[in-house]
Amino acid sequence: MSPSIDRRTLLAGAFGSVATLGLVACGAPPLQVPRQAATGTPRRGGTLRIARPAASAAETLDPASSLSAYEYLGALYNRLVRLDRAGQTVPDLASDWSSDADATTWSFRLRGGVRFHDGRALTARDVRYTISHILDPKTASPQAGPLELIKGVDAVDATTVRFRLKTPNAEFPSLLTAYQCYIIPEGSASTIGRTGIGTGPFVLDGFAPAGAGSVHANEDYFGGRATLDRIDFFSIQDTSARVNALLAHQVDLLSQTNLDNPTARVVAGSSGTTVARVANAQWYTMPMLATSKEFSDPRMRQAMKLAYDPRAILSTAIQGTGTAGWDNPVPPQLKDWLDLEREHDPDKARSILRTLGRENFRTRIYTSAYEPNLTPIATAYAAQAQQAGIRLQITNVAADSYYTQIWMQRPLMVSYWFTGRPVDQLLNQIFRSKSSYNESAWSNPRFDRLLDAARADTNDTTRRQKYQDAQRLIIEDGADMTPVFGDRLVGLSTNVVNYSEYGFEFDYLSLGLKEA
Amino acid sequence: MIRLVATRLATSVVTLFLAAFFVFFAVQALPGDVAQQLLGQNATPEAVATLRKQLGLDANVWQRFASWLGHAATGDFGTSLVSGQSVSSTIWTAFSHTLLIAVPAIIVGVTLPVLLGILAGARRGRATDSTISVVALVAMSIPEFVVATVLVLVFAIAIPVFPAVVLRGSAASFSELASAAVLPAVVLVVAMAAYIIRAMRSSTIDGLATEYATTAELKGVPRRRLLWRHVVPTAILPVLPVISINVAWLLGGVVVVESVFNYPGLGKLMIDSVSTRDLPVLQAIALLSALIYVLVNLAADLTALAADPRQRTLNRARRRRRRPTLEEVSG
Repeated sequence: MSPSIDRRTLLAGAFGSVATLGLVACGAPPLQVPRQAATGTPRRGGTLRIARPAASAAETLDPASSLSAYEYLGALYNRLVRLDRAGQTVPDLASDWSSDADATTWSFRLRGGVRFHDGRALTARDVRYTISHILDPKTASPQAGPLELIKGVDAVDATTVRFRLKTPNAEFPSLLTAYQCYIIPEGSASTIGRTGIGTGPFVLDGFAPAGAGSVHANEDYFGGRATLDRIDFFSIQDTSARVNALLAHQVDLLSQTNLDNPTARVVAGSSGTTVARVANAQWYTMPMLATSKEFSDPRMRQAMKLAYDPRAILSTAIQGTGTAGWDNPVPPQLKDWLDLEREHDPDKARSILRTLGRENFRTRIYTSAYEPNLTPIATAYAAQAQQAGIRLQITNVAADSYYTQIWMQRPLMVSYWFTGRPVDQLLNQIFRSKSSYNESAWSNPRFDRLLDAARADTNDTTRRQKYQDAQRLIIEDGADMTPVFGDRLVGLSTNVVNYSEYGFEFDYLSLGLKEA
Repeated sequence: MIRLVATRLATSVVTLFLAAFFVFFAVQALPGDVAQQLLGQNATPEAVATLRKQLGLDANVWQRFASWLGHAATGDFGTSLVSGQSVSSTIWTAFSHTLLIAVPAIIVGVTLPVLLGILAGARRGRATDSTISVVALVAMSIPEFVVATVLVLVFAIAIPVFPAVVLRGSAASFSELASAAVLPAVVLVVAMAAYIIRAMRSSTIDGLATEYATTAELKGVPRRRLLWRHVVPTAILPVLPVISINVAWLLGGVVVVESVFNYPGLGKLMIDSVSTRDLPVLQAIALLSALIYVLVNLAADLTALAADPRQRTLNRARRRRRRPTLEEVSG
């Protein structure tokens, strides 16, 4: 794989220099990436073409699967509830919900008159079936873990569904906002991967794994008809080929593609194409393996944090397109976010290292071309850490085995996630002891107790306080650094209006094309 | 000659077996298996175990190789671990798409450089020669992905004559593929032309300097006739291996070029299969590429044999001379 990495780097460089040459030649000011996508009144109808990297030839339309074709899901299906931009749980198929006093039984009332694409009416039985499909070990759904607390689901009547939980959870509805929780019709587990029959704003016309597919507007959608008539999806694996397709106007939008800076400049500077930002969409992390001899000491982890200024990483590695993280994994747009700028003090870090007898501490920091910003972040962090006498050797490894060979195995590396998880799931899934996604293997009993207490707390104010205390604990003691949240730089045609993406879903209803 | 063909075919069976064997174990040695590669960040131990069981990866490595070999011998290449489709049909579709680029590229990419090489050799030292040689040298030094990118920038983005990528993958229609095949074919022609031009040029120069050519020229044979009747037929012989290697390289799937154009050929199929560790598909691709190498080289040797009577007699003469030595050793 290393030749392909070289090629990418070289291509990016080539693009960059083409852009620079163009700039010098025209004497134009440096390009600015627009803050957000164009908005306005779209024309009614039209076909939007989206280029996407296919997960693999094994991809499926089954939302519960870890191999699901992400872009299709939001167009075809609905969840019971979804997250809004501030991380609040808001209605989708459920119109309202309530719990008993200690939050162990939750009842959801479904919207009336909702029909699946095949004409069947949505009932509570479909919801019950969907949940049992997610929890089925044969499905191996990534959301099975977080939903393990469900003891049983009852279809009380056609429009009421009741969840009985093993332990109280005041944030339970937020766990149903995951993109694996799209509701599928009862009995469809074996066919849903191909048929894509949901209740969503678009109806499937065709789908080929790792190939092309398309959807057309659902005239009976309960939320009103979508602006577009049709969306075509095309699979293009190679990032530069995807960008070329956009530049050649063969497609209108690149999904799941965070453009690197030189490429973003080319796209923003070419005629007919532009770049939109999805604010804080990329959550970059630097897990220090808490089980390694390097980082098992909390003081060592504290030194690693004190040594660097996240604002420097923000301005150098991602050129200001994002927000400084200050080692808090909760993205700033969420309502439960704790606003805390921890200390930055390289001298203090140095003196901690001295006490530990680890002056001139050196180790490797692993990175890869898996995502364009990982290596810039590793480089920027290494430069910062040097101020405290920490010497990091940047080790670039093959992208295709980065998450199987390095992640959760090497003491220090750079990784990333998409933001969009509700706070409760984020903290429980990635920071709780022994969770299968706990990438730093951090384990803190006080933290776990805090999460349990928060879940059992039905008072909104004190519960929020507990989630914030949990964040403080991660900042102080945690093993997973969060240097920055990066804006995703999305390449799209200037014809596209009202593009927005949050909570693992495109806003497919208002997405449209400009008046021709 | 029949014996030669028979020996060559027999060795090629061994070659194919070795290719399959090495590819199988090389992929085994790569970090991560299909289950881990597919799941990526979702590769929790439970999920990996479930998928491994579904794919039958829990069997022993040797056992899996043996069973693959047994099936392959009967022409059954199995199904892809990733897509679940039949490997044979997947590969033939991809191969036919690659042929759509390869055949025109071979026709143009062999005849044009041969002619240019002859021209350069015949006009040695003059403006035509230096132009051709310099351009060939430059083309040789630029990697094909740069040529591909430049062509896309010029002919798909600046002046949109051709598509930059194939959108519909293996479901693309013939007309869609045909227009998308032009730029990749040009890239391949550029990539392979330089070597052939240079080989043909020096071979022509050598041919023109031989005694029989000089004699013919002194006897008054017109230069054009001398070149085409007497020099070129011999001069082309040392170029045949260069051509055959280039053709085999090209047919084996030009990985980089196909992935830049998202072209659904054998090369792109190979990249995708390597990254997902899809062994059955990789094995079949390895066999097919090895087969193409063997056949193209055999064809080149047979052409040389047919075109050059000296090689046939030389072979016979050498064999006759060698026999006594062998008897001496054994006796």
